[in-house]
Order: sequence, then C-alpha cells, then structure tokens
Amino acid sequence: MDRGLSASQARDHIEMVDRILAESQPRLCSGGEFFVVWGFISAYVTVLSELVVRAALPKPVLWTIPVVLVAGAVFSIVRGAQTRRRIARTSLVQREFFNVLWLTLGLALVVDVAAFRIFPGLASAAIWSVAEAIVLLFIGMHGNRRAQLAGALVVVSLVAANFLSANLSAYVLAAGMLAGYAGFGLSELAARD
Amino acid sequence: MDELLLSKVRLGVVAALLNYDWVAFSALARCVDATAGNLGAHLLKLVDAGYVDEEKSFANRRPLTRYRLTQRGRGAFAAHVSQLQALLKAAR
Repeated sequence: MDRGLSASQARDHIEMVDRILAESQPRLCSGGEFFVVWGFISAYVTVLSELVVRAALPKPVLWTIPVVLVAGAVFSIVRGAQTRRRIARTSLVQREFFNVLWLTLGLALVVDVAAFRIFPGLASAAIWSVAEAIVLLFIGMHGNRRAQLAGALVVVSLVAANFLSANLSAYVLAAGMLAGYAGFGLSELAARD
Repeated sequence: MDELLLSKVRLGVVAALLNYDWVAFSALARCVDATAGNLGAHLLKLVDAGYVDEEKSFANRRPLTRYRLTQRGRGAFAAHVSQLQALLKAAR
C-alpha cells in the first residue's frame, strides 16, 4: 500500500494538501452590478405599475416594462459571459450561487410575465421581493454580513407592505428592492473597488 | 497508492482544484509554486489520465487555459489521501 512513499514523505504531502486547501477557501463573489441593475428594474416596474393603476400615468407607459426587462436580461447574459471568461478561478460555491440567482430570478420573471392573471399587481411585485430575499439570504448564509442585512431589509419591506396602508404598499416594496437589492449591489461594488 | 498522485506537484494541483469549478493555469502555477513548463507537463499527465478537464479560450484577445477536476480525479484524490493518512497512522 505504501509503495513509493515513506511515512515522512506522506506527512509532507498531507501537510501540503492541508496548506493548499486552507489557502483556497473560496469566497463568494456576488457580482454587484447584477444586483444594482435588477434592484432598479424591479423597483421601476413596481412603481410604474402602481402609478398606472392609480391613473397618475397613462397606460401606454407600461410598454416600457418589457423593454426594460429585455435590456436587463441582455445585460445579465452578456456581463455573465464576460465575467465567466475573465475570472481566474470559479469556486463550486460560486457556481451554486449563480444557479440560485438565475433559477430564483428567472422563475420570478416567468411568473410575473406569464402568470400575471394569477399574481396581479402587488402580488407580482411581492414575488420579486421574495426572489430577491432568497438570493440575498443565500449569500448571507455564506458569511456575507451585508447580504444578511440586505435580505432582512427586503423581508421587512415585504411585511411592512402587507400591514401598511394599501396606498403605500407598492412604494414600500420598491423601497425594499432599492435599499436591499440595489443597495447591496452598490456596497459590493464599493467593497470590490 | 495512486501512482499519478505520488508526485507532489500533481497532488498539489488536484488539491488546488478541489474547491473550484474552473481554475486558470496562472492561478494554478501560483498555488503549487511550479514553473510554467513543469506545471504544463504535470497537467498533461492529469488530463491524459482523465483526472482533469482542460478548456482553452480567449479573454481580452489573450489565450486562457483553465482546468477542472473530474469525478474520476476527485475519487482518486480522496482514495489517495485516505491511504496517506493510513500510512501515517501505521507508522505511529
């Protein structure tokens, strides 16, 4: 079994493996720009829909929503591909995070676009908030305190929107998206620079 | 023991890939402290054995070669390290 290695060599090899594993503990890099873009887009869609419902804006402005969503999706795909090519190391945790990010926000997007009769108005905005909270709290689970705080902020906005006056609900949800999701993205970008 | 992982550089490469999806050649060279030529030769053996996948592409018009541990490599590493630990235990 010990062909080719003495006990001292085996110890040397084990120590090297331990050192490399300790040095290569992966840090979850979340890509702040995605959070900024989608935080603003989700808040924009929420506030715009509310203003149209309250007749403060004409209905045709709703056509800006698919344009903004497509622009966000194109940005995410292009930027994601660029990032993937550029980074020297992609950890398994990182890959898992991107899977959670795409699945959660992708499903929220599908529900909002294709199931708007089941989830009309505020329900649709609330689904965005839930998806954003899941992503932020997933990052928070890997030790990112800012993500924990931001995730909690989005959840608080969700609960507050439920109990506050119906006139304020959409704005409270949008504030949670901006402060929690986009705010977390900005803090990540600031930390990276 | 796994003959291929008796080399300290190859064992180090597999350990460096363990927690990652794809790792660039330059990052691996820094991690195991090997010269480019030496590391390239060791990586070739790991790729030939099916322990590691290789991907060649371009980033900002510069060639980029990245490596990823396969399931076979992961299994071989786990078995090899447990045999190293057994050897150490027996020597005590």
